[in-house]
Amino acid sequence: MDFEYSELEETFRSQVRSWLKEQLNPYLEAEMEAWSYGRAPADGPGPHLRQFVLNLGAMGWLGMDWPQAYGGQGRSLIEQFIVYEELISHRAILPNFEALMMVGPTILRYGTEDQKRHYLPRIARGEIEFALGYTEPQAGSDVAALEMRAVEDVGNYVISGQKMFNTCCHYADYHWLAARTDFSVPKHRGISLFIVDLKSPGITIRPLWTMAGGRTNEVFYDDVRVPKENLVGEKNRGWSYMLAALDYERVVGFGFSITEAQTTFYELVQYVKMTKRGRTILAKNPLVRHKLAKLAIKLRGGWLLRRQTTWNLDNGIPLSYETEALKIFATETSQQLVDAAMEILGPLGQLRQSSKWAPLQGRIETGYRACVMYTFGGGSSELMRNLVAIKGLGLPIM
Amino acid sequence: MDLSFSEQQEMLRKTARDFLLRQSPPSTVKQLECNAKGYSTQIWAEMVGLGWMGLALPEEYGGSGASFFDLVMLLEEMGRVVLTSPFFTTVVSCGMPILYAGDEKQKREYLPKIVEGSVILTLALTEPAGGYDGDGIETTVHEEECALIVEGTKLFVPYAHVADAILCISRMADKKRGDRFCLLLFDAKSRGVAFNKLDSISLEKQYELILDKVHVPKVDLLGGKTMDWMAIEELLSWSVVGKCAEMLGGAERVLEITADYAKQRVQFGRPIGSFQAIQHRLADMAIDVLISRLLVYDAASKLSQGLSCSKEVASAKSWVSNAYPRVTKAGQQVHAGVGFIIDHDMPLYFRHAASARVAFGDSDYHRGKFAVEIGLSNRGRKSSATEG
Repeated sequence: MDFEYSELEETFRSQVRSWLKEQLNPYLEAEMEAWSYGRAPADGPGPHLRQFVLNLGAMGWLGMDWPQAYGGQGRSLIEQFIVYEELISHRAILPNFEALMMVGPTILRYGTEDQKRHYLPRIARGEIEFALGYTEPQAGSDVAALEMRAVEDVGNYVISGQKMFNTCCHYADYHWLAARTDFSVPKHRGISLFIVDLKSPGITIRPLWTMAGGRTNEVFYDDVRVPKENLVGEKNRGWSYMLAALDYERVVGFGFSITEAQTTFYELVQYVKMTKRGRTILAKNPLVRHKLAKLAIKLRGGWLLRRQTTWNLDNGIPLSYETEALKIFATETSQQLVDAAMEILGPLGQLRQSSKWAPLQGRIETGYRACVMYTFGGGSSELMRNLVAIKGLGLPIM
Repeated sequence: MDLSFSEQQEMLRKTARDFLLRQSPPSTVKQLECNAKGYSTQIWAEMVGLGWMGLALPEEYGGSGASFFDLVMLLEEMGRVVLTSPFFTTVVSCGMPILYAGDEKQKREYLPKIVEGSVILTLALTEPAGGYDGDGIETTVHEEECALIVEGTKLFVPYAHVADAILCISRMADKKRGDRFCLLLFDAKSRGVAFNKLDSISLEKQYELILDKVHVPKVDLLGGKTMDWMAIEELLSWSVVGKCAEMLGGAERVLEITADYAKQRVQFGRPIGSFQAIQHRLADMAIDVLISRLLVYDAASKLSQGLSCSKEVASAKSWVSNAYPRVTKAGQQVHAGVGFIIDHDMPLYFRHAASARVAFGDSDYHRGKFAVEIGLSNRGRKSSATEG
């Protein structure tokens, strides 16, 4: 039992770190800042961020654990996670997490040979991006209730309906779309997954602006024709593929909020050590110290849980309720951190980045608004708790 | 990173779980509480036979040379059945400091006896001042020509009534070198030693220990030297982490008992475990247990490897000291009336949690230590700002 990285993994980590430090520059960092806390800005990734992702792909650090035949490196998921950890602890952003962590592994497992050759190498090079297309106005937590309709028609599926909160659609190349292909069976058994070119005729994308200052979308399909070869895996088996990919989303999409929070935490510690409130350094205030220590210990717990989850995934050890527990714990701790930080910063905490008085570059204020999404995006905490109880503890379903 | 258990560790866990469930089920724990000794000599002898006393002790002292981590796994299993035994205080609280700070003669005298189960040792730490750090230690040692004279009162000394020797944390009267402390390991039958049973929430027998000018031979000074409080705390690390493991085991068991009950208990025509109000409470219990396990294993793994781990140790005790009472409290709420009755097993865990949370430093104390570790100190004390 040892939670620490091996020497080899540590060497790799420092390699990533020094590469990253060379790459970062004020233009790139400004573009990345707009993506912090899981936000997608109005225009998608800027030129510096796009180039950065291509550079990362050129290093072979995207899709590292995929086979070499499909553009991967055949390395471990642990190493891939070291890359993510380093990126996030330097506040570097990857706009194509969905492609890497949900789409890629699902295509690898269930896709056709053509799909693997067509999409995976391009994802690994950082060239293409996917947007998730699950949620609908009537299918939130109950996502299996989705009603978007896909009907077979000589070599195509014709798809109609509406999606909601599909965040990356306004800049992504492809839609990873769940649609109903059979209305006559129980809801979980009639869903299929498709890869849809977002430039297809009949797709309309409208912005929804979030209080975090980012953009998400509602997406309308009006008889959109999707070639049959874009069906992922078997028809009507989509739900099980979605579930498998959700484990990854919880670990990467939300589990890494722990690293983001740890980064914020250390910035906050530096701040309280240097900042006076009245005549006293904030760090000398026992209430402040107590709050911070309590959070740091929670962050440590969440960080260990992510390591455990990663290790299980990497070693093919079946997960019970760890990813749901991680999602709950990481996101709630992230919220508690920004909440405590707002208390510690006091009135100044209200100020945004553009104000010269804003502490910590206004990041706490941004986080305070943005983290609200963490506990319902990707499955609400309530739903996660149901799953922990049912999957993990074997409690009966109502 | 390797989060697997060795085959031997899996075996140890299985053996321990089977043995403890068979020999020390809750009914036995309840009986032993009414027994003057407070533990079973038969279980003690069988644990000796299983080689548990010397599990983490080197072979040269008769032990089996396994790691401290293995001992932690065993303590977790003991916590699952809330075993009442002088095992912890003998093997963990006294055995480990003797191994790491004792001189060769002390090690040769005590460690083989611990292994063969022929000696019960107990740690005398807490005092009426009630604090967890050196400031609360008023038991004082005066150095005289032929002996050390120790005087003071200790509280919550486990199994003092059956102990053969006492490991006593004391303060040196001589202040020339600042605050100095020492560990004295002396015969429990020494003249001037008296003890009185404390009536407390604890399942274990706890005693007030009065040391009235006890003459302790100078050779009984552990390691032959005095130390500062930080060194004392290092020698308490095994007790802190060991206690965490015991608490982890208790919390795991409470979660199991409660989940089982929620599946069986029918109200409003269906099992209460199908209600989301109950499911969410149990989910939170499960998360508390999960995080506890990770923090305890991480600290135990580092401590076991001899790595510096004060941050990890403080994290574990701080978290578990809140989590275990939270889990037992939630378990009580799900059980409601039936778990409030003394015949039920839940009160055992509830009381174990209440007592263990304040043993070797509570949540606040360890949070304070953690704060110092990340460079947030309110005293002028030297601190290292550790990142990561």
